[in-house]
Amino acid sequence: MTTATLNTLLNGYNAESGTYDEMWLAANDVQPHWKPYIQALEKLGADELERCRQEAHRQLRENGVTYNVHSDTDNQPRVWPLDVVPLIIDYQDWQVIEAGLKQRAELLNLILNDIYGPRNLIKSGQLPMELIYSHEGFLRQCDGIQIPGKHQLLVYAADLARGPDRRMWVLSDRTQAPSGAGYALENRTVMNRVLGGLFKENKIARLSNFFQELQGALADLAPQQWAPSPRVVVLTPGPYNETYFEHTYLASYLGYPLVQGDDLTVREGNLALKSLDGLQPVDVVLRRVDDLFCDPLELREDSQLGVAGLLEATRRGNVAIANPLGSSVLENPGLMPFLPGLARSILKEDLILPSAATWWCGQPNERDYVVNHLDELVIKKLSRQPHTRTLFGAQLSRKEKEMLINQIKGQPHLYVGQEQVSFSTTPSLVDDHLEARHAVVRCFLVARKNNYTVMPGGLTRSAPRRGDYMVSNQAGGISKDTWVLTSESQKYTSLWIQPQRLERAFKASYHLPSRAAENLYWVGRYAERAEATARLLRVILTYVNSGELFGEANTVEAKTLPYLLRALTQVTMTYPGFVGKGSRARLTKPIDELRSVTLDSQRVGSLLSNVKAMLRAAYTVRDLWSTDTWRVINDLETPWPSNEELKKVGMPIIQNNLNRLVTTLMAFAGLNSESMTHEAGWLLLDTGRRLERALLTIALIRATLGVRCQEPVCNMLLDSILRTTENVITYRRRYRSYLQIQTVLDLLLIDPTNPRSLIYQLDRLQRHIEKMPRDKAFYRLGEEERLILEATTRLRLSDPAVLTQTDGSSLLLKNLDSFMAYLTDQLSQLSNVITQHYFTHTQVPHQSLSAILPELPPETDEDIKLEVGSKE
Amino acid sequence: MKYRIIHKTEYVYDEPASLCYNEARLAPRSLSLPMFEQICLNWRITVDPPYNDYRERTDFFGNNCLYFTVPETHEEMIITATSEVQIDPVWDKDHTVPRADLLEREAKRSPAWEVVRNQLQTDLFTDSVQARQFVMNSPLVVVTPEIAAYAAPSFDRGRPLLEAVYDLMQRIYFEFDFVSGVTTIATPLAEVIEKRRGVCQDFAHLMVACLRAKGLAARYVSGYIETLPPPGEEKLEGADASHAWCSVFVPGPGWIDFDPTNNLIPKDQHIVLGWGRDFSDVTPLKGVFFSHGKHKLQVEVDVTRVQP
Repeated sequence: MTTATLNTLLNGYNAESGTYDEMWLAANDVQPHWKPYIQALEKLGADELERCRQEAHRQLRENGVTYNVHSDTDNQPRVWPLDVVPLIIDYQDWQVIEAGLKQRAELLNLILNDIYGPRNLIKSGQLPMELIYSHEGFLRQCDGIQIPGKHQLLVYAADLARGPDRRMWVLSDRTQAPSGAGYALENRTVMNRVLGGLFKENKIARLSNFFQELQGALADLAPQQWAPSPRVVVLTPGPYNETYFEHTYLASYLGYPLVQGDDLTVREGNLALKSLDGLQPVDVVLRRVDDLFCDPLELREDSQLGVAGLLEATRRGNVAIANPLGSSVLENPGLMPFLPGLARSILKEDLILPSAATWWCGQPNERDYVVNHLDELVIKKLSRQPHTRTLFGAQLSRKEKEMLINQIKGQPHLYVGQEQVSFSTTPSLVDDHLEARHAVVRCFLVARKNNYTVMPGGLTRSAPRRGDYMVSNQAGGISKDTWVLTSESQKYTSLWIQPQRLERAFKASYHLPSRAAENLYWVGRYAERAEATARLLRVILTYVNSGELFGEANTVEAKTLPYLLRALTQVTMTYPGFVGKGSRARLTKPIDELRSVTLDSQRVGSLLSNVKAMLRAAYTVRDLWSTDTWRVINDLETPWPSNEELKKVGMPIIQNNLNRLVTTLMAFAGLNSESMTHEAGWLLLDTGRRLERALLTIALIRATLGVRCQEPVCNMLLDSILRTTENVITYRRRYRSYLQIQTVLDLLLIDPTNPRSLIYQLDRLQRHIEKMPRDKAFYRLGEEERLILEATTRLRLSDPAVLTQTDGSSLLLKNLDSFMAYLTDQLSQLSNVITQHYFTHTQVPHQSLSAILPELPPETDEDIKLEVGSKE
Repeated sequence: MKYRIIHKTEYVYDEPASLCYNEARLAPRSLSLPMFEQICLNWRITVDPPYNDYRERTDFFGNNCLYFTVPETHEEMIITATSEVQIDPVWDKDHTVPRADLLEREAKRSPAWEVVRNQLQTDLFTDSVQARQFVMNSPLVVVTPEIAAYAAPSFDRGRPLLEAVYDLMQRIYFEFDFVSGVTTIATPLAEVIEKRRGVCQDFAHLMVACLRAKGLAARYVSGYIETLPPPGEEKLEGADASHAWCSVFVPGPGWIDFDPTNNLIPKDQHIVLGWGRDFSDVTPLKGVFFSHGKHKLQVEVDVTRVQP
């Protein structure tokens, strides 16, 4: 390759002097292992590269690859930022890194074993007691608890960066629930799709083997090895967590249920999953909840994320948690200066990967050094504090420095000073060329049998600006795929090829958590509610849009509209609206109210509030949707015109949004029935959908047909109902243009072949309910079976001619109205029964009060009210 | 001295509670300290409604710790812990006086507090290394400048350790008002210092904090104290109380207890349940239950002398 071809991309490449650059060699020349890749990029050309970048972004957005930023006010997850230029590490280099990581993991594991075991390192003075005991991750409650196998540190991650001398340094250790492995995998997947062609020429180590090892390692942890299959769950703090996407991604990739604390319960010292089929035993927990939050009984009392009794269950060895509770004690920068010595004394080896130079202030000399060299150091606390920034000594004012020094002198053992590692830069794609950015790579290890396996690759994050060292997502860092070049072509492996023990595992072990079931049920209900509201709005808007009719109160349209507007309020339950107080004014000028019922997402019952609620519910079961389905769900996030915009241009333009929404919701419904297995989850989703459709159809019928009206208006109403329920074509085909209430009711209520008829919904409900798990004791029907059977039977027996009979004296179609009321009641009861039986999350955990000591003052105090108790 | 202790805790729930998980440190430990020895002769715990899962273990600090769950739906729960302990003071060389009674007099012969502090830091004896964990801050005891300032007058340079500690205990006893019901478990020490009042738990925490402010090792002790009725009156049932005091480490003899609420050195009327860095390590009873509503708590303690 000639240097000339590199010119465009590398033009003005700004490697910093004194800093090692991963790619740059000398003027217009690059490291040999980067050459093929840079050449390939050149061949692509700037336009094509830009297209790849956009394509990667599009895929990440559509797949919903996100992370949450705490400072974001709207709480909207951000799209995961990925640079299509990877970090490339050559094979020789990687071998050293790999060996160094394995050694460090083994060492940390031995330290962890000791800290919660004999504590010989502390007794012998090799580790200062204060260094461990004052760390917030040292959990005295976990003393003596061990998970099966040689390794307590099952999963381990380290942040690495290369110093000016080309050596890789360890910046920090992640030992309790390291995040990032899932993002690394997703990065690779997207890169494969976008730049697949480039991969062929590069021999890049594959990542999937690491996840296979992880599955195997988790299976090996199962305390009851005789059980037919290990039952593993992934414990997440929930959708508001920064890396929730990754939890859902890993859970579905590894094939484990994703659960939150209240999905689990401890019964007689065993951990169980509250699933749709009752309590299911759990053997292993892969946790993403910080250890202090895992058990409100023994750890943090105010935690809503944990499971009461979990620690006791692990103490008895009935469940294994990876990583074990208490393992965050190793996330301690103060350990770093002790590692070289410990490596020599415990492993009889020299540490391969150095740590960033660190001084623990618990020792007098080290403390003095830190205080005297504040300007050159980063000051950290022993325990990682959430939401606090790292303190760079040089950036502090004189006053801040004084305060800091006082704090250090007051509690020296809580502070460390760390050298600011000037780490290497790596090329990042900025506009159409490459620029040097500082980068840190997070590497992942998992312990299996007697060894650690290192993921050949990792998650690289680079700083958003030149010269910047902050690479975290919260600071705007950009992620990169990490390529480890190998000497040989990689065999294709995937998770489908399982070791024997796991093969048997899969089918039987998936139980749907009750909370997930509940969320699916509500996804169904809200989706249906949004769709019905959109359809009704669409029909109403055609009247509103059809021109000048507002001036002319005598047209049929103008007379029909109030009926439909009132129906809108009744169906969406957005009272008072067009029904209650102030409705007269709104009926004459309906636009403001219509806009509000459509767009005001804060208003319960509005179209957008339903869409939002559906999205929220869908997000909490993120792991259960296929990629295609998630893409459709993402489409629902498409922004709507704001209230202000709409005021200017008028309601009509909203029609397009409504059309698009209905189409998207239909696509979602289609994917549900075609790409979800019709098991428990789907059953609940469709139950929610059918129940809601039935209730809304009833509401619509009641609101529009319950009252008699003049024939032209009546006809127009019937037409509107047929259009709202998407029955116009069917009706015309069957009954031509002869509009009659009885025939409309035939079609809407009791036609079993019409997927929008009431009987169709009830039939489906009945079938779903039969399939729901329950104790089928005796021959008695369950409560929900009884409710649906009665409703279905009465609906079958009903006769539209009878329902529409009137005695002439009343405006109300009494029979129809009372029958509809009966069905509403029956279905509402059904919904309650389903909620009670299947979603039992109504009770929240409380802390028992603890007595203040003493309950009574000592003898000297006369003014006491004595409580007299009974003696045995 | 032999005592029987009945400690009854009653929870009443507004709404029925379904599952209930509990952890109790209500079984006295056996021990041998410089001033007294305690043997737990026997103990038992009963729970109504009955528990279905019950375990005993020894916690990190060597305390007896009980775990039990009540699976049945209940509107109230009564936990009764009954124990019998034998407590004997350690006597002086001539077997005439309890050593505790001599402490005030002999305090001036103890080494200077700075010597003890330095020894604690450099000592490699296991008990000293172990004791050092009680020098550091803990969840409920965080040393502040106010606390350090309060401690200072007792710790003149070169003052014998036990004399200084004794003085600190007396100052807390005389300078703070015992007012029941003004503090909750969450009452920060800063407030206790500012308002100069609290309950025994606050005084124990305060004294622990003051000792730690001087670099000494101090732990929180949870237990009971025998109370005697006013002369001529009969003792009322349930009139006793849970109690708390503090203990300071002296390299050599070991842990010596001080009760700042009563201004005395425990010798045979203090029954030890357990100890830790502060209350949070030795909460007598805590739990998590599942219910919609709130609940109330009532505790009764009886400490009776079984034989004189």
